[in-house]
Amino acid sequence: MTKAQRLIFEGKPDLRPKQPHKDSPKKPEPYVVSDLLKKAVNLAIFLRRPLLLEGDAGCGKTRLAYAVAYELGLPLYRWDVRSSTKAQDGLYEYDAILRLHDVEVQRKQGDQPNQSKAPSKNDEDDNDDIPPENRNPGNPKHYRKFGPLGKAFRLKDRPAVVLIDEIDKADLDFPNDLLTVLDEPWEFTIRETGEKVTADPEHKPIVIITSNKEKGNLPAPFLRRCLYRYLDFPDDPNELTSIVERHYEIRGETPPPKKLVTESVNKFLTERRERSWFKPPGTSEFLDWLKALHEFEDKPYSATQLKQDISLPYPELLFKRQDDWRNLAQAS
Amino acid sequence: MSSFDPQELNLQELVLRMFVRLRRSRFKLGVGEYMAALKAVEAGFGDDLDDLEDTLKLLWCGSLGEQSQFEPIWKSILAQVRAHKPRKPPFPGTLKVQPLPSPQELLDDRWEPEEMLPPLEKRVEQRPEPRDSLRMQAPNLLKPKMSSPPVQAFNLIIEEPWTLQAYYPISRRSLMYAWQNLRRPIADGPLNVLDINATIQQVSRQGLYISPVYARRERNDARLLLLVDQNGSMTPFHQFTRNLVETAREESSLDPENVGTFYFQNVPTSNVYMDTYLTEVVPLTAALSSCDAATSILIVSDAGAARGKRTRGRIRATARFLYQLKRYTSLIAWLNPMPKFRWVGSSAEIIANSVSMFQTDNEGLSNAIDVVRGQPLKHSYSSSL
Repeated sequence: MTKAQRLIFEGKPDLRPKQPHKDSPKKPEPYVVSDLLKKAVNLAIFLRRPLLLEGDAGCGKTRLAYAVAYELGLPLYRWDVRSSTKAQDGLYEYDAILRLHDVEVQRKQGDQPNQSKAPSKNDEDDNDDIPPENRNPGNPKHYRKFGPLGKAFRLKDRPAVVLIDEIDKADLDFPNDLLTVLDEPWEFTIRETGEKVTADPEHKPIVIITSNKEKGNLPAPFLRRCLYRYLDFPDDPNELTSIVERHYEIRGETPPPKKLVTESVNKFLTERRERSWFKPPGTSEFLDWLKALHEFEDKPYSATQLKQDISLPYPELLFKRQDDWRNLAQAS
Repeated sequence: MSSFDPQELNLQELVLRMFVRLRRSRFKLGVGEYMAALKAVEAGFGDDLDDLEDTLKLLWCGSLGEQSQFEPIWKSILAQVRAHKPRKPPFPGTLKVQPLPSPQELLDDRWEPEEMLPPLEKRVEQRPEPRDSLRMQAPNLLKPKMSSPPVQAFNLIIEEPWTLQAYYPISRRSLMYAWQNLRRPIADGPLNVLDINATIQQVSRQGLYISPVYARRERNDARLLLLVDQNGSMTPFHQFTRNLVETAREESSLDPENVGTFYFQNVPTSNVYMDTYLTEVVPLTAALSSCDAATSILIVSDAGAARGKRTRGRIRATARFLYQLKRYTSLIAWLNPMPKFRWVGSSAEIIANSVSMFQTDNEGLSNAIDVVRGQPLKHSYSSSL
């Protein structure tokens, strides 16, 4: 592939192609991408290796996947990992009980209305959502449902962005199980139907994984495959200000007065730096706080007032732990 | 690549050297990662040195800790390549010429990056533990050093004066994995697991659907007794033993009620302790009262190998204790945090002949767990010499 043909993420939502995929995010994502992060994304797209993002909560790990999918017009399949999630859940689920139920229903009805209705041509593809009346228990394919990764593997005309959110929450073996799928030959088998699903070699999924490191490190073989980037909180006032600008610009909302933005950025960064936090607030908390300052009352909070304030307004948006809250109470 | 002065630097060589060097520093990298890096460089993801450094970091570092380990190595390799004086053969294959580095070289190697760094910073490079083969091939080389603790046994990396990396003989994650193997599943739980296959089979046999088939929930009936040596020569391993106990209790498949932990100092006498500070005394017989032939016992102690002394009293007391223990169960294993070659000449060497003793690494722990779950290997300390 030459450089021109390659998918390249620029961090500019305007570059979105005219005809995006139907599963692509509809709303543009107000996301300011640093050069380092942009490069990590592009390298991940180029090598088709999973990109693992770590960092504090609320610094935009998850939103990045939306920004990438929006700009490139690619479908985004999000997979929220829970402690009970198995790697197979992301590929497909098979509903044997529903099939059993349908057999019973069919027998009760005495006839076989489904077979006449179900067009045999469409059986092979596009049967992810079959209306109940068209389900035929004779066809096991009607009872499989593809998960986020499964859907991405089935796309033939373009790659999909798969977001695997909070991978560290999952069971011990989960990352390793995932690896067997996210590597050559990029395929998996559906045991119940005997189908083999293979990703198109030109359009392998772009996988973005986030982790909070809640349960220790991920296994070494998994880390070996991944590209790793640690997302820092944007400590620079200019950077935070540009995030605010981008946020309001893309949302199409009226931004807060410039003075208020500057003052709140300064106040927030000072607080964040000088206080000893148990859980420091992230970018998303800051944006919420700014929104509250701007719009919660009839009039925006006055910037001069904010500068003079000793106790912070709307502390409940920034202090999320009892011990942080107690520190605040002691300080003021 | 145009921004490089080709006479000064060869990109491919830089990547290769970096790869070989990082692998020696125990970065978990395979040929796949090396090829990926080359592919990335070819595609223009390393157009200048900073860019290349960042690309390699992205690809090869899996944590912030590894990233900070990467930087000094990068600097030193860069300086080497610039200076045109290859200190190390670039290919692992060429190592054959000189299979064993002399101790002097080992020493040189350890302090090598010092000259590249500001004078304050000192750094001990990570070295693989001396392997058995090393000892086999050059027994005379290593034996005189036995008494002094070799630095390379502790994978200590001092990057900068203010960052110390923790030393874990076995990572917490590996501990969790290892405990998964200690299982004795018994299906005596509530009858509430839907057996889909059996249900479908029943329906097809009976010709009509009556009710689903349930199976009993399985639980893990394995019982574990941990006896942990505390204080004294075990002090450096407190963090590790705490992890071991915590993972066994909370993050294994074991029922927390089936995990008992008692502590002792040096040798368990007629009393052991309930807590790590050795204050709550329990008679040993009481501690062992819940033990039966199916209880697994894992002892964690250096058995005198840390100080390297051979004490007759200690050996006798331990033998007496083991004899007492064996009346309850034969599923006993001993985990020694000191590497095997340090047992030689100490009390541990004698004790290892009367109990299955393993050094503390992933293999040792999984062997120990094999023993305590009743699948002993044909293994004894004396046969492994």
